[in-house]
Amino acid sequence: MESGQTILDRPVPSYRTIQGFKVESMNQRRNQTTAGLTRRAVIKSASAAAAYSLLPKFGTSETFAAEQPHTMVIAAPATPQSLDHEFDVSLGTIDAVGGLYDNLLEYEKIPDSQVPDALREDIAVHSDKPYNLNLKGKLAEKWEISSDGTVARFFLRQGVKSNWGNELTADDVKWTWDRKLHLTGLGPFQTGVLNITREDQIQLEGRYVVSFHVPKPNPLLLKQMVNLSNPVYDSVKCKQVATKDDPWAHKFLENNTAGFGAYVVSQLVRGQQAVFKARSDYYRGKPYMDTVIFKEVPTSATRLSLLQGGSVDIAQFLQPLEYTTVKKVGGVSVDAVKASFAIWVELNAKMQPFDNVKVRQAMNYALPREEILKAVFQDLADKQTGCIPDIYPDFTDKFWTYDTDLDKAKSLLAEAGFKDGFKTTLSYDAGNPVQEPIAILFQTALRKIGVEIILNKVPAATFYDFVTKRQQSLIFYLDSPWVPDPGYSTQLYFNSKSYVDYSNYTNAEVDDLIKSGLQTLDPTVRNETYTKVQQIVMSEAPWVFIAWPRYVLARRSNLKGFTYYTSNNLRFQDFYRS
Amino acid sequence: MPLPLENRFNAEPTSAVWSLILERTGYGLRYFVQFLRVYPGYAAGYVIVLTVAVVAAVAPLIAPYSPVNADASVYLQPPTLSHVLGTDSTGMDVFSRVIFAPRIDLAIAVIGTLVSSIVGSSIGAWVGYFQATTGIRSFLSSAIMRAADVLQAFPVFVFAIALVAVFGQSINSLVLAIAFVNIPIYLRLMRSQVLRIRDMRYVEAAYILGVPDWVIIGRHIMPNSIAPVLAQLSVNIGWSILLTAGLSFVGAGVRAPTPEWGSMIAMGFPNVMTGQWWPSVFPGLALAITVFGFALIGASIEFLADPRRRRTLASGKPPLPTQA
Repeated sequence: MESGQTILDRPVPSYRTIQGFKVESMNQRRNQTTAGLTRRAVIKSASAAAAYSLLPKFGTSETFAAEQPHTMVIAAPATPQSLDHEFDVSLGTIDAVGGLYDNLLEYEKIPDSQVPDALREDIAVHSDKPYNLNLKGKLAEKWEISSDGTVARFFLRQGVKSNWGNELTADDVKWTWDRKLHLTGLGPFQTGVLNITREDQIQLEGRYVVSFHVPKPNPLLLKQMVNLSNPVYDSVKCKQVATKDDPWAHKFLENNTAGFGAYVVSQLVRGQQAVFKARSDYYRGKPYMDTVIFKEVPTSATRLSLLQGGSVDIAQFLQPLEYTTVKKVGGVSVDAVKASFAIWVELNAKMQPFDNVKVRQAMNYALPREEILKAVFQDLADKQTGCIPDIYPDFTDKFWTYDTDLDKAKSLLAEAGFKDGFKTTLSYDAGNPVQEPIAILFQTALRKIGVEIILNKVPAATFYDFVTKRQQSLIFYLDSPWVPDPGYSTQLYFNSKSYVDYSNYTNAEVDDLIKSGLQTLDPTVRNETYTKVQQIVMSEAPWVFIAWPRYVLARRSNLKGFTYYTSNNLRFQDFYRS
Repeated sequence: MPLPLENRFNAEPTSAVWSLILERTGYGLRYFVQFLRVYPGYAAGYVIVLTVAVVAAVAPLIAPYSPVNADASVYLQPPTLSHVLGTDSTGMDVFSRVIFAPRIDLAIAVIGTLVSSIVGSSIGAWVGYFQATTGIRSFLSSAIMRAADVLQAFPVFVFAIALVAVFGQSINSLVLAIAFVNIPIYLRLMRSQVLRIRDMRYVEAAYILGVPDWVIIGRHIMPNSIAPVLAQLSVNIGWSILLTAGLSFVGAGVRAPTPEWGSMIAMGFPNVMTGQWWPSVFPGLALAITVFGFALIGASIEFLADPRRRRTLASGKPPLPTQA
């Protein structure tokens, strides 16, 4: 989500989730934006001056880019909390991991169809490409999948050195995945979706060849190797620093880099800044940006001011209204690309009255989506017309029927036995600035059909607990499935055994379909399977479908190279100056 | 040409209406009205508070829109004829919400302050009466004072947030929190008064006659100690409105979209920075003016309760400078 700010300019930890994991330590704060208009000049100047005093000095802010063309400064809500992604998915961390580590594979990049300056991963199904994917080797030079779909073999690029000078070998890949099996962070989930439960499923077949063996054909085998959560570590260095108490070098990797990526971390002062230096021995050539300064600037208003003043190149996670304001400022560009995010309301299917499908459908018909997109998201989001991201393969909106219709909602309620409506509570995250206005608009609409909802503003620190306990009738949720696959997405949210099925949605047929789709490589069968899943889910409406917020980047206009990834993070190596 | 101050106070009202009012009221009210005429600044306080109370009472009759219904088609509209104070980010009418808000703010502050004054004064009277005696009651009175010390050691705002967190986010919790944080103030105030009055001859006389302690406290001590408490009430109500608004501003007060000034300021705060100042500024002004009104009333009561300044006023001499 582009933003997520708290109610005050005080450091209230807030949360968002990525694939169901809690993303914390992002100092999400309420906006204090400036707009470059005369009457706000004082506010803006004060804000910028205060923020600028926090930054390293590069001469005047206006001449910063000219003086330091190969240095990029990012104003972010928070610095990386840890550099070990296994245990940290905070926003700063995923940005850092994208620069520090490399994966075996990546998607080819294509121009974004709506934003000319931006690139994005080509995640579509390509029947003319091997394994129907438009992939490109990164640390792997070649790859193959066995005819029965149960073995994936990767041939590593030779001569690739880590930032510690150790050459990439198959041992590094195996150690990386063994580590996932032994730790309790993201690893078990990442291995779980591949049905990897034992170390012997990852086999060395030579110094530069490694294979993954899964019991059944798995369409995620290659996609998981692109996933930001599965970078390759330098096992030689990690083993050197490992101790008996810390055999997987967690303490070392929290603050240091041991990988094959384009950058190394040269400074990490949590709460202040992280500095990344480009590697001159990076196997793909030294990136354009020699230095990346990742500065913690908690308030979005200050980040915006710094961007307007030219002191930073990128201001991350502004609020929708701020983006519309900054668009008008010279020298600043705003790219808003379609993304994998979605925001919805969980309708608890195990609590009355939402155990009734008609009530759930009525709630969907009552939501004033168009108004929300306009007033709350400033058109920086799209109507959520499906249950998986619309940018993902096999998505279809042909089962969308929930355009706002209060009469229809009322008649559905009457059919469900709630002619006079009912009373319930909607919980929302105090740390997310868009949820309250959405809730108020929804409340007003529901009042017209006799449904009275009490708005329960939950402190950001406890909101996630509310979600995971699944004891709220209605609660907002914001998430993003990183792997662009319909099976991966539906498995996360609609499989009754998934820990992310926070709406308590249960449908045995859906469970079976999701499972079968994750055990075949045939794109036609998969398309049919997940089309059916989407049909059922959309019909049974376990969520109030709200919006797909866009990934928005506010940057200096001379900064080019922005590429959108479904993991919703920046990769420093993409950027250059025009 | 206005009369000099001393002459103005002693001058008879010229207006027939004033004459009528004064004829039909007692000396106290006459004195009070004259006081306000001499010091119109203090009168402003009463006018403000009365206006706010009346507007709040008739808000459902004069509000052009529902204070809780959003209309995204008119979100963030600047003040116009159809929305005189503009609309907020969800299209709710700011004017309607501003005039509905005191129904919540005043109710919470007044009830919370009254509860705290009654409870705090009662305990304070009891503590003061038995202070420095012997036995369990003396021990208890000391213990209560130390407990009050502990309570007052916490920052009031943080303490109030903690109370709301414990009791849950509701109007009742806010009343409770405001009552609780104010109790030590009234306790100390009443205790200090009682410590002075309990040694008065009439109290001693009652004691010697065998009047029970609780009767002495209730009938002889408290009525004679209550003046400072009453003076404190008005100031405290204003302060409680601020506390209520503050709690709502940080999200610990009333639930959205209940019209409440602090909550409105918080909701409109991000928009101020992007140029849409009206959702925040108007409730902020309403809050400031109301609190100012209560402060003026408190100051006037303080003035009237001060015998020296009262005598000075009656003599027609220029008033003493205020102690504040």
